[in-house]
Order: sequence, then structure tokens, then C-alpha cells
Amino acid sequence: MTRREMLLKAGQGFGAVVLASLLEAAESNPLAPKPPQVPAKAKSVIYLFMHGGVSHVDTFDPKPELARHNGQPLSVELAKTIKTSFIHDPTKAILRGSPWTFRPGGKCGTPVSDLFPRVRERMDDIAVIRSCFGDVFDHAPAIYLRNSGSQFPGRPCLGSWVVYGLGTENQNLPSFVVMSDGSTKSGPPAYSAGFLPAVYQGTVFRGGDDPILYLRNPEGISGETQRDTLNFIGKLDRMHDAARPGDSTLEARIASYELAFRMQSAAPEAVDFAKETPATRKLYGLDENRTADFGRKCLLARRLVERGVRFVQIYSGTNVGDDWDAAHEDLVGSHEKMAGKIDQPIAALLEDLKARGLLDSTLVVWSGEFGRTPLSQGKNGRDHHPYGFTMWMAGAGIKGGQALGSTDEFGVQAVDMRVDAHDVNATLLRLVGLDHEKLTYFYQGRDQRLTDVHGQNEFTRKLLA
Amino acid sequence: MRAPFCALAALVAVALAPLPAPADNSPALAVAVLEKRCGQCHGEQTAASDLRLVGREPLLKGGKRGPAIKPGSPADSLLFQAVSHTGTLSMPPGGQLDPVEIEILRVWIEKGAEWPAGVAHARTNNWWAFRKPTRPPVPQMAGAVTPIDAYLLEKLQAAGITPAPEADKLALIRRASFDLHGLPPSPEQVRQFLNDNSADAWERLIDSLLASPRYGEKWGRHWLDLVRYGDTAGFEQDPYTLEAWRYRDYVIKSFNDDKPYDRFAKEQIAGDDLWPDNPDSRTGTGYYRVGTNRDMLFKVEDMNQVEKLTDYVDTTSSVFLGLTVACARCHDHKFDPIPQRDFYRMQAIFAPAVNDRVFLEYNEARFYDIAANYREFKLRQMGEEISRIQRPYREKLRDEKIAKLPPDVQTALKLKPEQRSSEQQAVAVQSEEKVKVTDDDVRAILSQADAERLHSIEKRLVSMFAGYSAPPMAPGIIDVGREAPRTYIAIRGNPNAPGDEVGPGFLSALGGGDVPDSPLHAKSTGRRKALADWLASPDNPLFARVMVNRIWQYHFGSGLVRTPSDFGTRAGAPSHPELLDWLAAEFTARKWSIKSMHKLIMMSDAYRRSANATPEARRLDPGNTLVAHTNRRRLEAEEVRDAVLQASGSLSLKMGGAPVVPPLEPEELYGIIGKPDAAWVVTPNAEEHTRRSVYLIQRRTFQHPMFAAFDAPDGVLSCSRRNESTTAPQSLALLNSRFMLEQARLLAEKVTTVDDAWRRILDRDPTPEERHGAEEFIEKQTARLGSKSAAFAELARGLLNTNEFLYVD
Repeated sequence: MTRREMLLKAGQGFGAVVLASLLEAAESNPLAPKPPQVPAKAKSVIYLFMHGGVSHVDTFDPKPELARHNGQPLSVELAKTIKTSFIHDPTKAILRGSPWTFRPGGKCGTPVSDLFPRVRERMDDIAVIRSCFGDVFDHAPAIYLRNSGSQFPGRPCLGSWVVYGLGTENQNLPSFVVMSDGSTKSGPPAYSAGFLPAVYQGTVFRGGDDPILYLRNPEGISGETQRDTLNFIGKLDRMHDAARPGDSTLEARIASYELAFRMQSAAPEAVDFAKETPATRKLYGLDENRTADFGRKCLLARRLVERGVRFVQIYSGTNVGDDWDAAHEDLVGSHEKMAGKIDQPIAALLEDLKARGLLDSTLVVWSGEFGRTPLSQGKNGRDHHPYGFTMWMAGAGIKGGQALGSTDEFGVQAVDMRVDAHDVNATLLRLVGLDHEKLTYFYQGRDQRLTDVHGQNEFTRKLLA
Repeated sequence: MRAPFCALAALVAVALAPLPAPADNSPALAVAVLEKRCGQCHGEQTAASDLRLVGREPLLKGGKRGPAIKPGSPADSLLFQAVSHTGTLSMPPGGQLDPVEIEILRVWIEKGAEWPAGVAHARTNNWWAFRKPTRPPVPQMAGAVTPIDAYLLEKLQAAGITPAPEADKLALIRRASFDLHGLPPSPEQVRQFLNDNSADAWERLIDSLLASPRYGEKWGRHWLDLVRYGDTAGFEQDPYTLEAWRYRDYVIKSFNDDKPYDRFAKEQIAGDDLWPDNPDSRTGTGYYRVGTNRDMLFKVEDMNQVEKLTDYVDTTSSVFLGLTVACARCHDHKFDPIPQRDFYRMQAIFAPAVNDRVFLEYNEARFYDIAANYREFKLRQMGEEISRIQRPYREKLRDEKIAKLPPDVQTALKLKPEQRSSEQQAVAVQSEEKVKVTDDDVRAILSQADAERLHSIEKRLVSMFAGYSAPPMAPGIIDVGREAPRTYIAIRGNPNAPGDEVGPGFLSALGGGDVPDSPLHAKSTGRRKALADWLASPDNPLFARVMVNRIWQYHFGSGLVRTPSDFGTRAGAPSHPELLDWLAAEFTARKWSIKSMHKLIMMSDAYRRSANATPEARRLDPGNTLVAHTNRRRLEAEEVRDAVLQASGSLSLKMGGAPVVPPLEPEELYGIIGKPDAAWVVTPNAEEHTRRSVYLIQRRTFQHPMFAAFDAPDGVLSCSRRNESTTAPQSLALLNSRFMLEQARLLAEKVTTVDDAWRRILDRDPTPEERHGAEEFIEKQTARLGSKSAAFAELARGLLNTNEFLYVD
């Protein structure tokens, strides 16, 4: 739907008289779709954020040498390159091999551990990047860094930059949707618009029929009353506006009430799975307790992307319940539990997007704030490890079945094709048609960028090759 | 957000206006365009293709492609061909300049491409903002009642724009009230003002508004935006900065007392050193403490210190100097003459600062400290006593719970952790929940005697904290002593790559100078004291200008310099340079009285103009750079909430004290770090919940959702100008939140007629047409909702959502 059509539709609640001014107001709509800066590979992004830190050496980065040196310390030289939260002296800690078996996945044979048997079947669509690195080993700053390019809160996150750069196709739904289990270690600043206008803020979708805050009519107010009241407001506003000609801001606010009203029906429609087939529900694991929650989020992500939502971010893990970070004390228990919740839904998402022809225009990203130490923390755990870890991407014309970059033989330091948060973000922006050096916002004396002055090791070409 | 080049368009209108020929502005405009659009690649340092757009000579010389301009002939000038896309070369890469900008360059080249005398390139340190303002002569303009009007009219006339007429009295009192108090006037205030036809009614209104403590709450909030105020420190734990609110109250009081701005600034920079015996002044140093910090992140103390010092340099330079010194952290500033060395010289000033507690009243604070130690000691004793009593019960209950589990789990749980295999450990961890013994479990089986013993301890515990009051202390800073840690230039901003050592000193662009060593027996380095004296001085070219521009901006919606915390070259020239300097001169002459500046501004005709732009002004000056009319503005986040509370009659005007945590719905708390009932402990006394928004808690990791929707700053970076966005989530919040519904109902309880509702919410009577529509609405909703009061609540909810309520004309 073009902007004009959208507005014509949105304008049906009004007389034709105000339509012209509505159209004028729409010209200044900051969320109107904008052409990409560079050729885009994808229109939408689904970003699966693994909160708390997934162990790379137990999932997508097999390390036979680690198993072989099980129980031995690292060389002092290598151990001294890392600093972590709870292993106080890495030179005295011991290496621990992965308790899971790795097996080749798909036709390509990219190895994946038994934690992700279903995702393993989709490896032909997936490009694994094994050489991510960063320098922050605390959760909140690391989550901020991955999302916003800075360890400090207060800067716009990737999703906000993307909708700032591209606008959104469906004005009746939020452009940037976040789903979590409620509480995260970073809080809302991880999906905030920072210094960008509030319109680019991530909108949190909660469970239930009314996913957006304040979506439901107030208690005791029926749909008819709400409509009457809106009409009443509209009438007063038009009289007010008539005495103040030529102010597009006033007109934009009149339109925002109609938009809010439309969102009240569009959002519940998006979260209503009634029309999904039993086969689809089963595919996403909605029938099973373990997978139902994450499955619902993944299915919803697909439905949102279908409806033109630009950016969806889903968090796996929470700091008030099950989390990847429980690996401090219990690697096996935490990772079995967390992977068990998401493996099938993620595989289903990839399969479903592909079957519907949406995978080519959707970029699917899987990443956390860091990996976990190849060294054992205590007897059964692994600590935070930002020095070398794994993420993966699929869709957006990315060549699947490949593994880029590498860590050293023990999975301690990223070695080949070292890419930091900025390089990754520059790449993600490029895939949706934005140039990280040109996507700027003037603030505090300079043209601010998601990647600040970094991002030189963008690796889009390698992904597409 | 308005298009940034409306301002330029308006200036072009001035520059090109045929009648009475004003000074030719085209060189200044052209240089501003070149700086802004081309400077990044063709600056003195960057010089892409060897082209430096930094002066007439460099342009005539040109770069690798030959001369950039042929004065008098735009069509033959490579620069013009490139920007107009009429030749083989198209610039800038990836886009085209705004047509207005292209026109500016064309006119400028045609007129001979003079490099402006007044606006020399910044690299020469001769940027207008770095020269001390002198009091310019006030132009003689017929019809101008104040000097402010004379300066403004001069440009308006040159542009051929007739300013808008004066606004009606209702608009005026609403404007003045929101601007100075952040609140609508009460119906009584409106009635009085409308009936007061004396010549000085307006002046007396301003005086009375300035005398009210509501003023400090509004203008203190502006300042809190600037100094990135928050009650917590941020990150995962987001701990409270204890007694941060003492600084908030200090700011509000300083505004209410009309504390001279130089004193206010000095107290914040170095109150500890300048007035060591004055706790109020020292509380000003809370300025350093109320920002984000990562002190709670361990093993990265060195980095936390670096970030803290960077924040001090960044915030201090942008708030007090309007300069983006932080841009020189990694390399010389790209646009302004601020070498990297200057960043670290400024950082050295803060290097010796450490956290301190300001004892607000010495004896009281000492006694408090002693009592706190005693309490801590007793607390530990009681804690031990409680566990001693509970232990046998806990062990018994745990054994019972274990006995009910499968045998392999029992085995695993009974082993000590180091004896378990990894499978057993996994089983044990997973079963931990099942064998957990709660306080309630224990309580249920306590013997009578033990229950009484515990009860008596609990009673003692509670009494220890009864009447627990906030410590009589404020967060502040102090120098660690006379010796400071050394400061090195961090190569490319990397603190692990130290370059030259530098000493403390001032910005070279503003004259430079070193901070001398303090006397041998001094308790501090005296560095911040020296900075305070240097900053807050009439000789500092930026100190007064930056603040008067802020005051202007908060009254008119945008400043004479549009980027209030950036007076560097990227800011361009002010829209009214002489007016800016005149205001700065007045500010100094009026002994830095902010209240007197309000009055000076508000007594002008310019301030009292209608918010309706004439068609002519809309066409010639769409960005209203020339101030032909008032900028209509949306209420700020806090104003929305406060105005709703005032309309419903529930606003509490209690001032000061610990931050209030208002009740929020679970869905509003979604996303907060931690479990909501633990992370958001609502202030028990419900009367506190309706206090003004400035007193509500400001968590760094969680913003009140209504404030977040209405563009309130997050308190991480200094915010010099809020966004004014219009979004559907704002409408949803105002329509559907429980807060709005409750306030609408409270309002309805007090209202019996449509007229009454209008007066309380919109400060006026309804028109006959509105009255008729509203009565119809009431009738219909009474039938639908079953009661007249419910219908009035609906009417109120509607009125609170109108543009008239949400905007100030």
C-alpha cells in the first residue's frame, strides 16, 4: 500500500474536507517508507537475541582440541588475554570439552551440536560466523554494545536506526517490535531510540490478545463509546484546527488518533492465530509446553513480517527465570533447557518463511551478547566470554551452508575474519539497504552513526558470495 | 522536526530581499553551507582531492580537478556544477543539496564569492562564538517597544514580513503559565487576568508567576535535562545514587532563589573548593554524581574511571560552554579548533576528583553516621540470632522434602557439591527449587517459645527502622588532595595507549592558559576552582551567550543558535547575532539574574505574538527563524501529566524529598529489570502519588511509559532540546491508560455542567456549538453508560485528549 493509499484509507473516519490536510501531514510522517540507500537484500529483520550468553563451543563452533585437553589449563600466554566475571585467575582454571556431540547438518555438513538438532537440519540456509569478538564481559554493557554500538545506554539501537532509515510499510502496526520474557539484564535501553525521536522506539509486544501497552479500551468503555469519544475529540480538534490554519503538527496529531484506533484492531488481528493451520501450530511447537512460548513468538514474528513490520527482535532468556546465563553453575542443565525451548521454533521459522517465499526478503539473525568460556567455571559452569563467539544469519539472499571466520583451537580468541559488534551491525544495515557510513543523525555536534567511526570490517560480500 | 533548511530559506529571503538593502549575508550563508555539507571531506585536514573549502584563496586554487570557483560566473564554476549536478562531477556523494542551499552558493559565486569578513573560518580561531561579545547598538526601529523587538523587526522588515498580531489574553496567560510553571493557569487566575484591564496587568502577571515556587520546578527541570539527571546509576543493577534528589532540590531552590547564574555554575563545578563551609553550595557538586556511572561493574575500574572523566568533560563543555569537546577525545575536533590535547588538558582538571558526602548539617550528620554504624552492628547480631533459631527447623523441613524425591535425586542432593558427578550436579541444581524451605514453611512449625523469640526480634528490628529518615547528606565530590593522578593523551582515544603527559589547562580556542599548581599546604589541587573562575566570567565569550540562548529557546521553542549545546562551526551563524550579544551583555549587566532575563524577554512584543503564522510568513519564513509569530508547542511529558492532575484537582504541590514511585499497572512495568514488585516499590503514602512529575523517580533503565512516549529524556546524555514527536502510542496512552481514566473520573465528580468541564480543562467557556455538541454527547453517553457522572467522565477523557489541551498557543 502506498503512503497515499494508506492515508486515503486512514482518512475514511473523516470528511473529505480534511483529507487534503491529512495528506499534507503524511508528507511529514517520519515512518513513511523510504527508499533504501543501497540495493537491499531484505525488507525485514527478525533478530533472535540469545540473552545471557550462549556457549559457542557447545553449539556452533566445534573444538576437538578442547575435548582433547579436557582438565588441563590454558597456556599462560593465552589465559592472560582474557578477563571474565567469575573466573578470577584464568591461568589457574581448566579447559572443559563440550559434553555434546557435534554432527554435520544439511547437505553442506556444517557441524552443529546435539543442542540444536532441528536447526541443524536447516544449515543449508544458514551462514555461521564463528569469529565475533568484543571487549565487554558484563551483560548490560555487552547487550547495549551489540544492539546500539556503545557499552553505555542512551544510544539508538539497530532496530531504531533501521526504521529511521527505511520507515515502515504498515502504518497500522508498530514498525519495530520487541518480544521478551519481560525482564532482561539490560532493561528497555537495549531497544530504545536513544537520541532519535521517540517514534523510532521499539514497541514491546506482550503475551495475550492486546499485545501493545494501552491498546485495550479502558475498563468499562465499550467499542461504541470509544468511537463516540474519538469522534467527539475529532470534532473539537477540527474546530480548533480551523482557527489555526496551516499547522501540519496539529493535523498530524488528529491523524495519530485515527491511527491509534486502527492499531487497536490491527494489532489484535496480528496476534490472533485462529487462521493458522494445525500443521503450522505443530511445526512451531505450540502444542508442547516446552516450545509453546518461543514458538508463539516466532510464529508472531512471521505474521508481523508478512504484515510489513520492519524489525522484530525476540529475546530468549530473562534475568528473572530461565536463562542462558544459568550456565555459570550448570552448563548442561541451562543449555539443555534453553535450547530445548527454542530449537524447534527457530527451525520452524526458517522452514515456514522459506515455504512462503519470505525468507529471501527477511534477514534472520541469531546472536547473543557474548559466548562462554572454554574454561570451566567451578565444576559445572562456564563464565562470560566476549573474546571469540558465534552468531548466525539466514535469509536475505545470504549464501547458506557456509561457516565464516574462526576462533583458535580452544575457542578462546577469534582468529580469522575477526568481526566486532560494529562490523556485524554495518553488515546487517547493508543487507537491508542502508550504508552504515551514510545513515546518520546530527546530534551533539556531529553526524552520529550506529557504528560510530568503526565498521570497516563489514563482511556483506562474504555472506552473499 | 522541521526541515533544517527552513532557517536558511528564511535567511536567503533576507539576503536577497531587494528593499532596503541589508548587509549582504550571502557569504556567511555560503560558508555555512560549505561547512555543513562539504566540510567533512574538504576540510583543512581531510582535503579530499586536495580541495580545501576553507577560504577564498583555497577555493580559487582548487584541488586536483582545478579551480573550484570562477567568481561572478556560477555556470563556469566546478563547485556549482558539482552541487547542481549540471556537469560531469556530482557532489556530495550519494545525494544532492537542498535547492535552497544550491541557490545560496549560486548567488554567492555570482556576487563574487567573497569570503565573509565577520565569519572567518574556524580553523583560524576567529569563529564568532570565540570572540567576546560586545554590546551592539540597538537599531532605531519605529514601532519597536523593546530592544528585543527592534532587533527582530529589523530583519522582519528586511524580509518583507509583517509580524503576527498580539495573541488574545487567554492564550497569553496560558503561554506564560506553561512557560514559567509548566502548568496551566487555574480558572481563578484566568478570570482575574481577563478582567484586569490595567496597563500593567501583564507585568504583574509575570512578576507573580516568577515569585511562585512552581517556577523553580519548571526551570529546574530544564536544567536537570541538561545535566543528565537520574536517581539511579544504570546498567544491570541500576543502583540508587543515594540522595541524588538533594541535588534535584538544590537545583529547584537555586532557580526559585534566582541564584546568580555565575554563582550557580561555580557551585556545581567547584562548590567544594570555593565555599567549603557552605553545605548548600557544596551540594551543587552533586552535578558530577547524578549521571550514569558503571562503578558497580567490577574488574573494569580503570575503564569506569575513564568513562567518568569523559562524561565530566563532555557534560561540562556542552552545558556551560556550548562546545562539543568530547569530539576531540580520539583525534583533533573535525570542525572546531579543539585539538585532542585540549580534551585531555580539560580532563586533567577533573582527574583528582573523588566521590564525597556533603554533611548538610555537621553535628546531625555525624550523629547519623554513628547511629548508622550502630544499627548495622545490631542488624548483624539479630540476623545471626534469627538463623540460629530457624536452622533446626530448616534442616528438618529440607530432609522431609528430600525424602519425598526419587532415590537418585536424594543421593545427589545429600552429597556435597564437590562430591557430585556432573550429572548428579545437574539433577541437584534442577531439584533445588523442590527442596527449598521458605520462611512461611518454617513459621508454620515453630514451637511456641521459638515463635515468641523470633517475634520479639522482629519487633526490635522494625523499631530500629521506625521513623527511618534520609541521611542528612548529599552526594558530592572533592579533590583527593593536592596531588593529582597524571593525565596522558590517549592515542586514538585508547586509554591503554598513553601518549604525551599533559597538565590541566583551558581550551586554546578560548585563549588557553594553564592551571597553576596549588599552594604547598592546600587541601586540593584547585583545578576545578580555576575552571569555575575561568568559565563563569564575563570575559568568557561563551558562558553568557550559551545561557541566554537556552533561556530564549525555552521561551520561543528554538534558540537564536539552533543547536543550543553546540556553538561550534557546525552551528553556523546565529539568526540574530546582535540580539544574542545584546542579551548576553544584559545578562552580565543584570548580575546574572535569570528571572530578570525572563521578564526582559516576556515584556517584548515578540513574546506576546499570536501563534498563528500569516500566510506570508509561512511562505517566506516557514521555520519562523525571524520570529514573526509564536511557535505553537506541544506540552512536554511532565506538563501533560501535571496539567491532567491540575485539571482533575488532584495535583499535590508538596515540594522536595526522596523520589516518589507512583503506582503503575503490571503491563506498564513490563520490561523492567527484575521482578516488578521488587524493582518498583511503590511509595506507600498515596498522597505522594499525585505530586509534580519532577519529583517522580527517574530510573536510568526504566522510564515511566507515558514520559517515554512523550519524548522525555532518558538521563543518559545531556539533553539540550527535547524532540516533539507525534505518535500513535502517545494517543493510546492518553486515551486508554488507567491514569487518564482515573483522572477523568475524579474530574467528573467535581463537574456538573458542560461549561464547568470546559473551564477546568480548557480554561474557557465553550462556544454555543461546542456546548450543544457536548450536551448531545452527554445525553447519548448517559444512556449508554447508565449514569450522568460516567458520561461526564467520558466528556472529560475526551477534552483531555484534545489538541487544545495538549498544545500551547
